[in-house]
Amino acid sequence: MATMKKKGPLPGLFIGGFLFYMLLPIVATYAFSIATRWDRTILPEGLTLDWYKVAFMDRWFLIVFKNSLVLSFSTVIASILIIVPTAYWVHLRVPRARPILDLISTLPFAIPGVVLSLGLIRLYAQPPLMLARTPAMLVAAYVIFTMPFMYRPVVNSLKAVNIKVLTEAAQSLGSSWLRTLRQVILPNIMPGIISGGLLVFATIFGEFTIATFLVGARYKTFPMQLVYYTRRDGRIASAYSVISFTIAWVSSLIILWVAAWGAKRTSGSGHSIKDKDLQINIAGDQK
Amino acid sequence: MEVLSNKQIKNRRRLLDWLPVLPFLIFCLAIMILPLFFMLRGSFTGSEGQFTLEHYAKMKASIYASSFKNSILLSGITALLGVSIGTIVGYFICHLKSERAKELVTALCDVTSNFSGAPLAFAFIVVLGSNGVLTLALTKYLNVDLYPEFSIYSFSGLILSYTYFQLPLMVLLIIPAIAGLKKEWEEAAHGLGASTFQYWRLIGIPVLSPAITAGLLLLFANAFGAYATAYTLTEFRYPLVTLQLGFLLTGEVFRDPGAGDAMGILTLLLMGISILFYQLAVKQGRKWQQ
Repeated sequence: MATMKKKGPLPGLFIGGFLFYMLLPIVATYAFSIATRWDRTILPEGLTLDWYKVAFMDRWFLIVFKNSLVLSFSTVIASILIIVPTAYWVHLRVPRARPILDLISTLPFAIPGVVLSLGLIRLYAQPPLMLARTPAMLVAAYVIFTMPFMYRPVVNSLKAVNIKVLTEAAQSLGSSWLRTLRQVILPNIMPGIISGGLLVFATIFGEFTIATFLVGARYKTFPMQLVYYTRRDGRIASAYSVISFTIAWVSSLIILWVAAWGAKRTSGSGHSIKDKDLQINIAGDQK
Repeated sequence: MEVLSNKQIKNRRRLLDWLPVLPFLIFCLAIMILPLFFMLRGSFTGSEGQFTLEHYAKMKASIYASSFKNSILLSGITALLGVSIGTIVGYFICHLKSERAKELVTALCDVTSNFSGAPLAFAFIVVLGSNGVLTLALTKYLNVDLYPEFSIYSFSGLILSYTYFQLPLMVLLIIPAIAGLKKEWEEAAHGLGASTFQYWRLIGIPVLSPAITAGLLLLFANAFGAYATAYTLTEFRYPLVTLQLGFLLTGEVFRDPGAGDAMGILTLLLMGISILFYQLAVKQGRKWQQ
């Protein structure tokens, strides 16, 4: 065949080099966390779980882990409550508001965490409004910061099911607006909400920047403690990093899996729940 | 009782329809729009409340100017690295024979594009710190001493660690564009006597160019706004815009609020323009991916 060309070593070289670069830091960190000593020799001198024991025994571990869990869950719930009903209503009744919402939900991409923190502190940290440095304000900032992650999958789900027909059918049977949302619409857009929720959860669990500036030492989070240990004790830092990585990749894999499940459920509708742009933009808001 | 015409009733219903959207709009106004608006105002306001450009004039001072220079350089270099290597890797991934391998590498990109911030910075210290795994291996087996010329805590270290989260992002962005390059086009071009070079110059690159432009812009913004990775590696020692802003922000007493505002606004401007043109480029690129 004319189009079949000899491939040569280039593809293997590039993909191999790419895999090496992407995997080495992860693998090394996992190995480092279970190595007795690994700063004099090429391979670890021995294996141990002591660093995890030391990390878990530290009284701060439970505090920061709990704080980060509380922040992540609160943000997911607040984000669902603020975004889902609004997105549904707009898609059903106020199509003219759609471009406005699309625009607003894109803005956070252009606002780095440090700039958002600066704005909030400048506006809300002076008396009488001493709100800026509270965990509640942190959750509010997080809802803004992660808005595209929740909004886009939810909107894609809304587009994938015919909400107008579903709503009219439910209402003709006497269902109220809220009941329709809860019992008819929600189950249909669940894949979008789950994808969005996981994305928000994973992002917030690893978020360092905004948390440091808004609440700082008053409400220590898991990433703050991790940064602290990178300067104090590399062994404990490695245990923290491994936990962080693990949460990030488990969330990513569940998101991929949910996306596949959602695509199967709504196949043929022309819209996929997992939005390519979103997948691209999720990159990093923990940077 | 007032009598309403049909039209008035309709208008009234239309207004009422907006009511449920209000809580969301007010929330965004309070937490996002207003703080940024006051930042904009603050950047033009002097100590006596008068209009001034002095805060922007301060940006010419060495520390602010070098922060912008370094941030733009770091973002630009890692965006270029990410785009060029990412496009080639993406091309080879698309041409992998096994569907399974293709899926696995794509999933790896998906997962690793989420690894960033403090854990990533620490992972790079494990690999390339002064006693890092790779540092030791290079010394022992290849007799190459990375230190002191290279340091993970310096500009070169920042480039390496930033490229780590840039690269998989580009691969994810370029794969759909490359998948849009139809095999038939290549066959047709060759059938008409085009060389491989001509095919790429006249068909391949033009079709991929929206995605490549989008990649450059997105990756630039992605790196420009990054904070945690750089902070973990360098603390405040290396002048970058986000680190400089963070430095101004730490401490209960604001060091120089006006300069902070001006820096924040310039950052938003740069990021906003990048993201805006990124989205235009993505829209351009969609035409080919239908």
